[in-house]
Amino acid sequence: MLLKSIIRINLFLLLASGSTVLADVPYSALLADEANGEDWLSYSGGYRSERFSPLGQINTNNVDQLKVIWAYQMQPTGISGAALQESTPLVHNGIMYLTESPSSVTALDASSGRMLWHFVPDITNDVLNIGFPRINRGVALLNDKVYVATLDGRLFALDAGTGAVRWETEVAENALGFSLTLAPLALEDKIIVGVSGAEAGVRAFVDAYDAETGEQVWRTYTVPAPGEPGSETWQGDDWQTGGGSTWLTGSYDPELDLLYWTTGNPAPDWNGDVRPGDNLFTCAVLALDPDTGEMQWHFQFTPHDTHDWDANQIPVLVDGEFEGEERKLLALANRNAFYYLLDRETGEFLLGEEYSYQTWAEGIDENGRPIVIPNTDPTREGNLVWPSLQGATNWFSPSYNRNTEQLFVPNRRMGAIYFKADVEYEPGMPFLGGGEQPLDGDDASGAILALDVMTGEQQWEFELQTPLWSGVMATAGGLVFGSSNEGNFFALAAEDGEPLWFFNTGAHIRTNPMGFAVDGNQRVAIIGGQTLFVFGLE
Amino acid sequence: MALFARCIQTLILCSALLGAAATAQDLQNGETLYRTLCARCHGMLGEGGEGPSLKRPQLIHAPDDDTLVSIIVGGIPGTGMPGSRQLRGEDGPDVAAYVRSLGQLPPEEMPGDPAAGELVYNSTGNCASCHIINGVGTGIGPELSKVGQRRNLEYLRRSVLSPEADQPKVVDRFRGSLNAFLTVRIVSEYGSYEGMRVNEDAFTVQMRDLSGEYYSFEKGDLISYEKAFGHSFMPGYSAVLSDQQVDDVVSYLMSLK
Repeated sequence: MLLKSIIRINLFLLLASGSTVLADVPYSALLADEANGEDWLSYSGGYRSERFSPLGQINTNNVDQLKVIWAYQMQPTGISGAALQESTPLVHNGIMYLTESPSSVTALDASSGRMLWHFVPDITNDVLNIGFPRINRGVALLNDKVYVATLDGRLFALDAGTGAVRWETEVAENALGFSLTLAPLALEDKIIVGVSGAEAGVRAFVDAYDAETGEQVWRTYTVPAPGEPGSETWQGDDWQTGGGSTWLTGSYDPELDLLYWTTGNPAPDWNGDVRPGDNLFTCAVLALDPDTGEMQWHFQFTPHDTHDWDANQIPVLVDGEFEGEERKLLALANRNAFYYLLDRETGEFLLGEEYSYQTWAEGIDENGRPIVIPNTDPTREGNLVWPSLQGATNWFSPSYNRNTEQLFVPNRRMGAIYFKADVEYEPGMPFLGGGEQPLDGDDASGAILALDVMTGEQQWEFELQTPLWSGVMATAGGLVFGSSNEGNFFALAAEDGEPLWFFNTGAHIRTNPMGFAVDGNQRVAIIGGQTLFVFGLE
Repeated sequence: MALFARCIQTLILCSALLGAAATAQDLQNGETLYRTLCARCHGMLGEGGEGPSLKRPQLIHAPDDDTLVSIIVGGIPGTGMPGSRQLRGEDGPDVAAYVRSLGQLPPEEMPGDPAAGELVYNSTGNCASCHIINGVGTGIGPELSKVGQRRNLEYLRRSVLSPEADQPKVVDRFRGSLNAFLTVRIVSEYGSYEGMRVNEDAFTVQMRDLSGEYYSFEKGDLISYEKAFGHSFMPGYSAVLSDQQVDDVVSYLMSLK
């Protein structure tokens, strides 16, 4: 214990003197992130996006003894509307890096919670965030830098030791409604980001930047221009305001060397009359060549979406036997209430099963296309459809335990009355074409689901009072950690969903849990309201 | 179409109610902007969504119209409300007028005599044994001091005759929305309990019985837990009051603003 503390003091001294040797997060460490229980080096805890902690010190036998080890109160910036926290902290070598709304970055001593540095970008109160709150979901680490994407459309590289700016670049123009809220994804030498803005009628894209210099390496648009593949699914100039936002961190398969990135709704959201066609490549997952950005394959979950069912959910990379054959798979529980399995080498559709109550499709056909029930589009009078626009799940993360082949999915159970309205595009203004009125009170609820990853079959459910807005993390201790709007952080038994422990943080929880270890002690972290809580046994 | 038509009708009536403050045209502009800028979080009908319900006469953060306009334009620090700085000129006041109209009831003619209704309320009705008005009474059911601001004639009459017909909601969007005054029946190893649910999460439930006593239970410890949707502890008054007395009590409640 004493030795470790001394080592860490030395580390801080080195950082202060400008050395970057010990702050190093080489690409090889990112490749090994999943097996590394001490650190949590990328948003989803590894390129496969399993959000699984391989630590078992906290387990089904002792989780009821969990207690708060330390807490950290967020630093308000004075920017209005920036009090919702959706960040997943990262931990490397005893230092925690987290973002605070709207786009600040804080480094903390992971053993005590004491602050080491704090970076606040010069964002002004008139920043546009059209269609979502003023939040940020976390940083990326690579070598000696910390990367943060900002609400006003920039990407910053910070010195990991001090928080000083190494470089910054404008990804997209905020005045048009572009924003960045996602945690960037660090590859070997590139930083990958995506944008929000479909609610402002942007034409979205995925970008890669040189990690050292900030130079743009490639840009791949999610809505094709005339003549490009997929352009036949648009008419006239609709593509120019077509949406297809890329606002959630993707996954990466280093062996296939493919980057998987999801896309959001076509624009305008609820009035599909003004953009006939399937509207590729919206509401889809794209497989991209990380060196060039070239699209290798695509799969569209919801063609011609009219309910704002973005496909911006976490694509989980799974290897295993599907129908008797060893396959490389991509699993995704979609906002549209169906669970999908794809072959991640080819994009072949393998499975589409309803995992949550819905009233818009009879099922998914053999090609992966939904069999849409007539008269389920939004109308001018209002049309009740399940799920609500926030979907049967959303951006918050699922978790996968590869040993038990269980996928744990945070589930919202809520219907909404969908409205359609006339809309005209105006730069920097909402471009929605309608809206919803969700059903609330005891008519709505939430749940944590355990699905058999190969069949989508539900193994158990743990019901929550209201539709949640937070992710889950399974651990090698046989646990699934989750949270609720009501403010509970809790642990369920992965085997059967039995609740084993809960703690009332006193405020709504709207982020993902993560885990790490410091001084040999396993820790689990969650943000409730404006406070980060770190739990452990001792 | 019915819903939309009702909204328009409400707007026209409200514009009369608000007098010089907003014309029908202002409200129309406010509604268009509301649907573009606000409805995504507050709901197309103003009943809440990711943001809180605005369909109430008093807004927590906006006691007056100037404050409401500055919140609509500038947002609220310490919350998720960002503001809409794209608004220019009279757009802010127009949205504010529309938001106010969501929580206002159109003027209605009273069916009876409010003074007579107050007497019935305090005598035959014995209503003060469960409700508080202007500081007087017992707090078991909802406080009624300003009930005329938020409930119309039809709703109030239904509440007097068939109290179980409506399930009003308590909306705290970020901590979850619950049906209010829901009857719950709970059996634990210590006994049986019946009352109104006050709060609930996945692990615990808080209840208040008819004597005003609070209870808190961990769900895992319970032998049974029933949510009695469609039940109300308030008796229906159709057998207790004459039609005229019902009209008078309803008129009295309508007058409470």
